[in-house]
Amino acid sequence: MRALQYFFREALGSLWRARGAALLAIATIGVGLFVLGFFLLVNTNVQRVVDRWSESAEVSVFLEDAVTAEQLKSIDELVAQSRLAARREYISKQQALERFKADFPDLAPAAASTNRSPLPASFELQLRSDVREASGAVNALVASLSTMAGVADVRYDRQWLERLNAIIRGARIAGAVVVAMLAFAAAMTVANVVRLAATARRDEIEIMQLVGAPFAYVRGPFVAEGILQGGAGAILAIGALAVLFQAGRLRFELTFLSFPILIVLLLGGMAVGCLGGYVVARHVR
Amino acid sequence: MIEAHGISKTYARGVYALRDLSLLVNKGDFVFLTGPSGAGKSTLLRLLLRRDVPSEGQLIVGGRNLADLSPRQVQAYRRSLGFVFQDFKLLPTKTVLENVALVPRVLGMPFVQQQRRTFQVLKWVGLQHRMNAYPLELSGGEQQRVAIARAIVNDPVIILADEPTGNLDPDLSLEIMNLFREVNARGTTVLVATHDRELIRRVGRRAVTLNHGQIVEVA
Repeated sequence: MRALQYFFREALGSLWRARGAALLAIATIGVGLFVLGFFLLVNTNVQRVVDRWSESAEVSVFLEDAVTAEQLKSIDELVAQSRLAARREYISKQQALERFKADFPDLAPAAASTNRSPLPASFELQLRSDVREASGAVNALVASLSTMAGVADVRYDRQWLERLNAIIRGARIAGAVVVAMLAFAAAMTVANVVRLAATARRDEIEIMQLVGAPFAYVRGPFVAEGILQGGAGAILAIGALAVLFQAGRLRFELTFLSFPILIVLLLGGMAVGCLGGYVVARHVR
Repeated sequence: MIEAHGISKTYARGVYALRDLSLLVNKGDFVFLTGPSGAGKSTLLRLLLRRDVPSEGQLIVGGRNLADLSPRQVQAYRRSLGFVFQDFKLLPTKTVLENVALVPRVLGMPFVQQQRRTFQVLKWVGLQHRMNAYPLELSGGEQQRVAIARAIVNDPVIILADEPTGNLDPDLSLEIMNLFREVNARGTTVLVATHDRELIRRVGRRAVTLNHGQIVEVA
């Protein structure tokens, strides 16, 4: 405990002496973590929207006008046997028209001008929550329904949601690469700042070596210096994200990063700083 | 205590800093190493501090061949030494008390004990009243006394001093030597490198004279 106190007291003193360079390192870590946090913030909110859309994702089976009761029964039985639908509902042509009028009141007079409903009857299937990710089974059902007699078309909302998810996954990978590069740059900046500190403190290091101080004691302050810089950078990044979030919330419905994610950001910053400090410290023997 | 068996130290281009040097220093001895600049005095102290190893021969301290020590054993060995340099090697950003307390602190001595011990040695060198001063506020003699306090705070078995009076006038030099004599009187082996023959004469201890890396005289 006393050793830790010593490490951090020495590190704080050293940071204060080289505060210009230290601020640069803190800012570099801050930018890296801000970009990471921004990605996470965007990801969290986009994912939330996509999840909400996913929950309401349906399979709509549009029927031909000439569909027979027998064909309707076959379609209903196929859906029931698949056990993929939590709810299935038959929407008649008239019900479809009523819904259209309710959804688009401006167009209601135009729809009313026709004698009969121009909209097809349909089956609307609400998928079970546990099979939403099992797209293979759902795709098979969609394919089977498409070939059935009496079916005009099958629309499956999840197909475009999957494409959206694929785009999000790609963006995540690109984001991870950018963040990794920024983390590397931040670690190297910290290493250079700590190296400056090591040069400034070479007399002290020499004396510690001559008195036979344990390696941990000689190296500890440098690692502590890196950790402090990383932690300060992370706090800076979280502060900037909070400001950005507050500004964004005025226009959009957003949620902030969860507490565990914030802790991960903080620890991540400290880990990057620690790495930079260690890169220098391990050369001190 | 210290046994040098035919040690040589060569640097780049085969230049010999020490050549086939053999020396025996018993426990509790006070020995001067003297000779002109470049004679090999500092090199021998450097080897004894285990900052370097001999190119040839064996340097044995307390029964251990210094060349065979692992990094951790080097640390443990150095804890048994005290060192004093001509340029004092004090940390200008730390007070006198902090400079001396650095040694017991990094060696893990409990805080109260390290403060007590540091105060004791500062009192012994007569600088307890300057313990909150910074090194640059002290005279050369005072700075060297702080360095000696730091060297003995850990009760070393051997004290190695490299030109400890190089920057001091004759009276201060003798004062510093008297401190070394007192330390030696308590049983600590003292090895002092100096080119000041007058000082050696006044202190009157065994002197080993080196020239071109070899022992040329023992008096």
